[in-house]
Amino acid sequence: MRFKAAFAALVLATTALAGCAVEQSGQQADKPTIRVGYQTFPSGDLIVKNNRWLEEALPDYNIKWTKFDSGADVNTAFIAKELDFGALGSSPVARGLSAPLNIPYKVAFVLDVAGDNEALVARNGSGIDTIAQLRGKRVATPFASTAHYSLLAALSQNGLSPSDVQLVDLQPQAILAAWDRGDIDAAYTWLPTLDGLRKSGKDLITSRQLAKDGKPTLDLGAVSDEFATQHPEVVDIWRQQEARALTLIHEDPAAAAKAVAAEIGLSPEETEGQIKQGVFLTPEQVASPEWLGAEGKPGNIAANLQSASQFLADQKQIPASAPLQTFQDAIYTKGLPSVLSQ
Amino acid sequence: MSVFVDIAPDEPQVGSAAVVASAGKWRGRITRAALPLLSVVVFFIVWQLVAASGIWNQTFVPYPSTVWQAFLDVSSTHDGVRGYAGFLLSEHLYMTLRRVLAGVVIGVALGVLLGLVMGSIAWVRSVLEPWLTFLRALPPLAYFFLLVIWLGIDEAPKITLLALAALPPAAVATTAAVVAAPVGLQEAARALGASRREVIRDVVVPSALPETFTGIRLAVGMAYSSVVAAELFNGIPGIGGLVKDASNYNNTPVVLVGIFAIGISGLIIDGLLRAIERRAVPWRGKL
Repeated sequence: MRFKAAFAALVLATTALAGCAVEQSGQQADKPTIRVGYQTFPSGDLIVKNNRWLEEALPDYNIKWTKFDSGADVNTAFIAKELDFGALGSSPVARGLSAPLNIPYKVAFVLDVAGDNEALVARNGSGIDTIAQLRGKRVATPFASTAHYSLLAALSQNGLSPSDVQLVDLQPQAILAAWDRGDIDAAYTWLPTLDGLRKSGKDLITSRQLAKDGKPTLDLGAVSDEFATQHPEVVDIWRQQEARALTLIHEDPAAAAKAVAAEIGLSPEETEGQIKQGVFLTPEQVASPEWLGAEGKPGNIAANLQSASQFLADQKQIPASAPLQTFQDAIYTKGLPSVLSQ
Repeated sequence: MSVFVDIAPDEPQVGSAAVVASAGKWRGRITRAALPLLSVVVFFIVWQLVAASGIWNQTFVPYPSTVWQAFLDVSSTHDGVRGYAGFLLSEHLYMTLRRVLAGVVIGVALGVLLGLVMGSIAWVRSVLEPWLTFLRALPPLAYFFLLVIWLGIDEAPKITLLALAALPPAAVATTAAVVAAPVGLQEAARALGASRREVIRDVVVPSALPETFTGIRLAVGMAYSSVVAAELFNGIPGIGGLVKDASNYNNTPVVLVGIFAIGISGLIIDGLLRAIERRAVPWRGKL
């Protein structure tokens, strides 16, 4: 009898606890839900989220924002059909569009292009002034990130293969710790960790330079094929809000920084400094042949993604790179460029 | 890793029933060997069927043959690429086992010593018990970043983490075993003129050993299950680093190869420990 009572109490407690989960999404059951995955790198996506522009523009839908820590997780969520929109780097997108993942999603927006906010820094006193001098040194970067891609691109520009240096897989916070202890000689990482490294080191190359050399890394907005086919009008509104955020970054950086700062937990001043170091396109540039292109004429971004896919194949992370056509088909150009200015 | 307590069966009765008993024993042995094998076969059949059914994406449930191919790729040099991230599977496993061994030896040695002291001296137990419980409640991931700041990115933080994971189970089991040492035997030894030290050496430690061994096996299990956390930073070569890196690339077959490698080597290690236990403390359950 006592066992039964205990069991009943356990069941009661479990159901009661399940009922008081902490949620603040304000979802209404009678409206369809749009699921948006975001990451906390400074971008227009965070401005849209913080100002609730998507909720305002789509009053007939619930918007469910979910935070992700890496592009790999966003890919997993897309595969599981748990996301309609997602923000992720160009490297995870290239992986997602290649075999064996073949994720059915399309690139619908360029959130930002890595500029001086991602850089390869050498520690003062390590005697390293050029990338070529990294041979045999310990270089840290978070593996599978856009910085990892940029580091290997920078090395190969200088005739070094990945095995010529000692690559160390560290997350940004750990890079800072290892740097202060003198465990590493150089690191390719991003803000705000980068600020800490620059105090006692100097840039060897930044992602802005690599983008000029034809190896840009980008943060992209992706939409699942299923959702884009069923609700093209929602995709239009989503792209218009993202474009509005880009315009705000250019016209009123302080207001943009305030919204982003609220999402990433830094001060508006620090955030404004970070945003200045990134490259944010104007809506016109996004729809230019250099990036997304126009309807029927997918832009150069397909070539960038194909080269990222080739890079992954060289790294043996995917069996083979996908052809350019795959990436051109995966650029969502419907209504571009006029749709962005509506 | 689960812990089974082996109680060696008594020798079969000699006499007229011996023939029957030995036949039954053989049948028992065959069942014991066949059942686990059967469960493995059923598992692979179910796996193959689930993968073939196509309910889930290949990234979630790859075919057994895909995982086998990944295992072969990771274990050999193919297309000029050596194993995974430049190291063969055996090298990943060797580095991990080396770290686990170092961590477990340090953790268990300190833990058993601590347990002996805590079990024998009541006030030490009162002082240290809350700290031990505190440490035991912490998931290794919570404090690993601190170890990186304090100890760097090489072997030191990894081994420290594994030692910290292994210490509490060993200490708690030893403490409990020492406290539970039969008072009757201790008093009998006292009455026969043994000193305090002799009582501990000849009565307390032998009676505590079986339970301490269970604690050691638990400690090894705890350390082993912290391997991925320990190899989160700069974990390559290492089987935990391999699992983490492959999952960053959504490379499920390699993740599964890593998981199988961790699980199977864990089974083997536990089997070895049980064999050692049987040899070292044959008096378990007979005191």
